[in-house]
Amino acid sequence: MTEKALRNPTSPGFQAPKSAWSGRLALLAGQIGLLAAIMGIWEWAAVAEIVPRAFIGQPSVFIPAFFSGLLNGTYFSATLITMQAVLTAFCIGSFLALFTALVMTAAPPVERLLSPFIDALNALPRVALIPLFIIWFGLGITQKVVSGVSIMYFVLLSATLAGAKSVDPDHLLLARSLGIPRWQVFLQIVVPSAIPSIFAGMKLGMIYTVLGVITAELIAGGRGLGTLVSYYSNTFDTNGVFAVLILLIILTSCLAGLMNAVEKRIGRWRLA
Amino acid sequence: MHDRVSVDVEPHPADAKSSQAGSAEAGIRIAGLSHNYWQQGKPILAVKDIDLDIPAHTFVSIVGASGCGKTTLLDILSGLVTPQSGLVTVGGESPQAGRKDCARMFARDALLPWRTAAKNIDFALATRLADRAQRAERIGELLKAVGLDGFQNAYPRQLSQGMRQRVALARSFALRSEFVFLDEPFGALDALTKVALQDLLLKLWEEIRSTVVLVTHDLAEAVALSDRVIVMSSRPGTIVADIDIDLRRPRDVKALQSVARFHELVAELWGRL
Repeated sequence: MTEKALRNPTSPGFQAPKSAWSGRLALLAGQIGLLAAIMGIWEWAAVAEIVPRAFIGQPSVFIPAFFSGLLNGTYFSATLITMQAVLTAFCIGSFLALFTALVMTAAPPVERLLSPFIDALNALPRVALIPLFIIWFGLGITQKVVSGVSIMYFVLLSATLAGAKSVDPDHLLLARSLGIPRWQVFLQIVVPSAIPSIFAGMKLGMIYTVLGVITAELIAGGRGLGTLVSYYSNTFDTNGVFAVLILLIILTSCLAGLMNAVEKRIGRWRLA
Repeated sequence: MHDRVSVDVEPHPADAKSSQAGSAEAGIRIAGLSHNYWQQGKPILAVKDIDLDIPAHTFVSIVGASGCGKTTLLDILSGLVTPQSGLVTVGGESPQAGRKDCARMFARDALLPWRTAAKNIDFALATRLADRAQRAERIGELLKAVGLDGFQNAYPRQLSQGMRQRVALARSFALRSEFVFLDEPFGALDALTKVALQDLLLKLWEEIRSTVVLVTHDLAEAVALSDRVIVMSSRPGTIVADIDIDLRRPRDVKALQSVARFHELVAELWGRL
């Protein structure tokens, strides 16, 4: 086994076991089968009126509705409006959370000072603040962004702080014995140690940002996907609601997948 | 197994600017050292009345059961712990963490997982040597010396335990420090890997002949590597024996296994524990 083969899966020395591929195919087939089974039972329950069709919708209706909504442009502007708020909130929230974590890690007295307040704010169900945000910021994008930030900020902050505390004590001793200055220890040891937790926090934070923005849209209206959900449910169009939910699942998964790709790029050493 | 590399003994010009460094020839002196550590609010005497002189360029091992304060002693020598009473000098100066003439190696490899083997060595070497090209050259020499030629870009995850400890050894010896403190560096390794790494340690040491203090609980290891073995008793840690190891150098750890004197010395150590 040469070192090149170790590092490079594309080199001739590296051979992925054949069974890995067939194993993955079998798994994928199983997952598709499970999804089909769930949809089948759902369809049957709706058609047989086990549960009133108006309550649970019907896959054979909402899946086509999803595709036609995609194609005829019903979702297009709503998606843009929602994603604009989600990405803005995610960027602002990430910046604020990482900045706070940086200050708190670099200056432990600041952390001791702030931590009870942060815990209290984190304990507050911030969805309950959305009506206030509407009063303060109106019905536009601002209150949606604030709602998203208020939820994702704490998720990322606590993940980052936990990551910064997960530093291997041996690494700190090594740095001390080498006489490496404090700011260098921070950059070269604390930050890289925290990166896996930061990414975990960002992935979770992305999902929570969508939650915050959609909730704000449900409450405030406007023209986003959350508004579309509330419109369909208010008109008892259950299939319409499920069609939008499919879109939301796909959008959020794409964003999480994007984060995974970035993480893979940066965290090569962890996955090797 | 390894190519013999010539690591030039003359210090690089950049090494000469070592700050807060003592004089290598002064060796290590410990007089009347006692030190407590706190456990659940109570002071526990870790080491008591230690007197020890280690001349420069000697390889000394400290053995004893776990809890005999040998790691505390090493922490004091490397300046990570400030002694409570007694006098300790390393190269004529008080120990201090980050001294440029001291290197410390830990029981676990303490490699940074996000840095490759070469970059891990560079992490330490950059504190002593500013010139990037010189560092790269020395890192190349050392990786070759520890038998990891071609693994410079491997991450610690991709290396076996033994290979990681080789990188850690290379990192410690890359500094060419006058004083090297080793804390059970081979404790976690299997017997065969251990002997290979002990030979490697001897080879690296022969090149620079620094003053080495090695803490271990492996008596055979202490005898095979050292000029002198200090035996410590537990709680409080005191020195109970100080044995000269009169085996000829350079030594070959594997060959030592069939030397009668080697086994006599190990047996004598067992008797003193």
